[in-house]
Amino acid sequence: MAAELKTFKGGIHPPYNKELSSGKAIAEAPIPDELIIPLQQHIGAPCAPLVSPGDKVKVGQKIGEAEAFVSAPVHASVSGTVKSIEEVANFTGAMVKSVIITPDPQQEAFSGTPRDTENLSQEELRGIAREAGLVGMGGAAFPTHVKLTPPKEKPVDLVIINGCECEPFLTCDHRLMLERPEDLVKGLKLLMRAVGAEKGIIGVEANKMDAADALRSASASEPSVSVEILEVKYPEGAEKMLIFALTGRKVPPGKLPSEVGCLVQNVGTAIALHEAASTGKPLYERVVTVTGPGVKNPGNFLTRIGTPISTLIDAAGGFVGSPTKLIMGGPMTGWAQPDAGAAVVKGTSGVVVLTSDLVDLGEESECVRCSKCVDVCPMFLMPNFIVQATKRAQWDKAEMWGALDCFECGCCSFTCPAYIPHVDYVRKAKAEIAALKKK
Amino acid sequence: MATNKLIVTPPPHLRAKENIPISMRDVLIALSPAVVAALVVFTWNALFNIALCTVVAILSELLMRKLMKRKPTLNDYSAVVTGVLVAMVMPAKIHWVMLVIATFVAVGIAKELMGGLGRNLFNPALFGFVFVWLCSGFIASWAGNLGILPAGFDGAVAATPLAYLKHGTFSSMPHPSYLGLLFGHPRGGALVEVGSFWVLLGAAYLLYRGVIRAAIPTAIVLTVLLLSYILGKDGVYAILAGGVMLGAFFMATDWVTSPMTLFGQIVFGVIIGVCIVLIRTYGAPSGAVAFSILIGNAFVPLLDKVFKPQRFGAVAAA
Ligand code: SF4
Ligand code: SF4
Repeated sequence: MAAELKTFKGGIHPPYNKELSSGKAIAEAPIPDELIIPLQQHIGAPCAPLVSPGDKVKVGQKIGEAEAFVSAPVHASVSGTVKSIEEVANFTGAMVKSVIITPDPQQEAFSGTPRDTENLSQEELRGIAREAGLVGMGGAAFPTHVKLTPPKEKPVDLVIINGCECEPFLTCDHRLMLERPEDLVKGLKLLMRAVGAEKGIIGVEANKMDAADALRSASASEPSVSVEILEVKYPEGAEKMLIFALTGRKVPPGKLPSEVGCLVQNVGTAIALHEAASTGKPLYERVVTVTGPGVKNPGNFLTRIGTPISTLIDAAGGFVGSPTKLIMGGPMTGWAQPDAGAAVVKGTSGVVVLTSDLVDLGEESECVRCSKCVDVCPMFLMPNFIVQATKRAQWDKAEMWGALDCFECGCCSFTCPAYIPHVDYVRKAKAEIAALKKK
Repeated sequence: MATNKLIVTPPPHLRAKENIPISMRDVLIALSPAVVAALVVFTWNALFNIALCTVVAILSELLMRKLMKRKPTLNDYSAVVTGVLVAMVMPAKIHWVMLVIATFVAVGIAKELMGGLGRNLFNPALFGFVFVWLCSGFIASWAGNLGILPAGFDGAVAATPLAYLKHGTFSSMPHPSYLGLLFGHPRGGALVEVGSFWVLLGAAYLLYRGVIRAAIPTAIVLTVLLLSYILGKDGVYAILAGGVMLGAFFMATDWVTSPMTLFGQIVFGVIIGVCIVLIRTYGAPSGAVAFSILIGNAFVPLLDKVFKPQRFGAVAAA
């Protein structure tokens, strides 16, 4: 059975542990006493603040904007008062200028203007995506309107919704597909219109058949939309892997999906586009899975951007057992946190609390050339040689072995018996190579 | 709240349940059927040899690590694996001095002096074996003069079933049956020659556990089989006799000293297979597997470069 499902070559089967939260309906997270809204939550230029301390803001009001094309505005996620604008450490530890908002005790609902989405032009849809501050909500947070502007000479014929959610533990996309299949299909249709694609595919991993069924009935009357089932394997949802699994098209090294006529979007982003287009609602809240053996009641929470992790942990009943790692994002690619102070941003898909039994901190030793990393690398690189070159500071060699093509999925480190943190080395190599190229 | 104990490391935050000690333990488990068979057949002789080699392997690692001011890594079990392998490939009746030399050369020189596990080019156990094998004439005559070694040391391997392969006939024995070979009849000179069946049993476990991949052993065994037939020899006999199975599944698959890509591994296996047949046919009947694998080892850096995998999407999808 597994052999018949669409997939890619390489990859791994980590422990998924999705059952902790996959059955929990999306619930609203409480509003914290204070929200930290970073002015840069995306790839690209940071925003300049549009408000000053003391200003009153309304929910959905734009509070940060940048001139640059590759950027996305940010919006207030609550109504309240701007307390201050200061540099705050974000989830990666980087200091980012952020707007601190004290919410009003009485929150009014966002009031948008309903709009007929039937006749929106490509130009209008791009404008809506930008105005709403849409970014890829799977983690990378690439501005959506940029993705919706593919190069003229590369027409896009296929929009793919990444419903794989191949990261272990996370279930926010699963819940969205299950609870809001119609909105997702509408969002997909808008994405197709925005880039002029005739076809749309929603790719769902085989461990979410209930979501696939919901989507099939929601798209029954849409001949241009199909739902495809993929093998449960990590990283099935990586853009290049997903495109290959569904279409057989291979995005060349260093190129974007538009090269092969595809656009890949995240489930949350597609739904957010539908909301932005139909009501004008900007991206100021998202679903975050709060889970792991280290929290009492794992769940999926509709969370205002800027909510600190600690509020979500409380919403999930607090810590239990011995929390050893607090991860923002999924356990394969997420960021370990020193404390629960960091704020949820547009790209935050989950907060995962691992207990000591799931954390294996072996000591890094010399590579024993077992070739397991080579076997699992979905980009067909030789991760061990990238590491070796990085250790020796041979940046040309690191590039030769494919450091720039590594998309940091972590399969290599997952399987490495020598506990080598390849992703860490790759990041180092990428930074050095980029610095050299600038010279 | 326990937030002050949170650990911050780079992703990924999940790991497969594997590491070097687990894998090395798997290799020891996989060797156990052959070891037990050797104990049954050679009794005290086997026990002594295996125990001696294991102890010397451990001491060699400790000594060399101390001399080179490196942290001891005994807990990765790799020294034990090498020790057991040396004991298995050496003739059972060999003088214990030879065992000590072979094991020390294997662990102390071929592994530790080369930089430790992961940096060595040659399979340590085979390096130790071949070292002694090449030097044995010299050592034997030298030690023989001193009266240390019993006479007939290098005769220990001469009368094994392998001689049949070179000469095509046994002067003193009937043609051995394949089934007999599987279970060690007639008996060879080395501990491991108690039957390929026991080796294969362990090999199946290694494959099942994912410690080794099938490419290298398959390439070796098929090459030996086919090339033997082409040269007019008994191919099945060729793969069942001597150390082909142990070499193919336990030694050529050594992580450190084998290529890392599928194609590299296949070519590596073919090189070794060809060398085994040629050496057995035109050279010495015994020791061919060991020499062949060491020759293959020398090609590994080249094979890794030449058979670097084609990056995903590197050729435009035609
Ligand atoms: S080298 Fe990069 S792309 Fe390949 S497995 Fe490792 S992290 Fe993933
Ligand atoms: S998985 Fe680790 S030990 Fe094995 S080859 Fe890769 S880097 Fe080396």
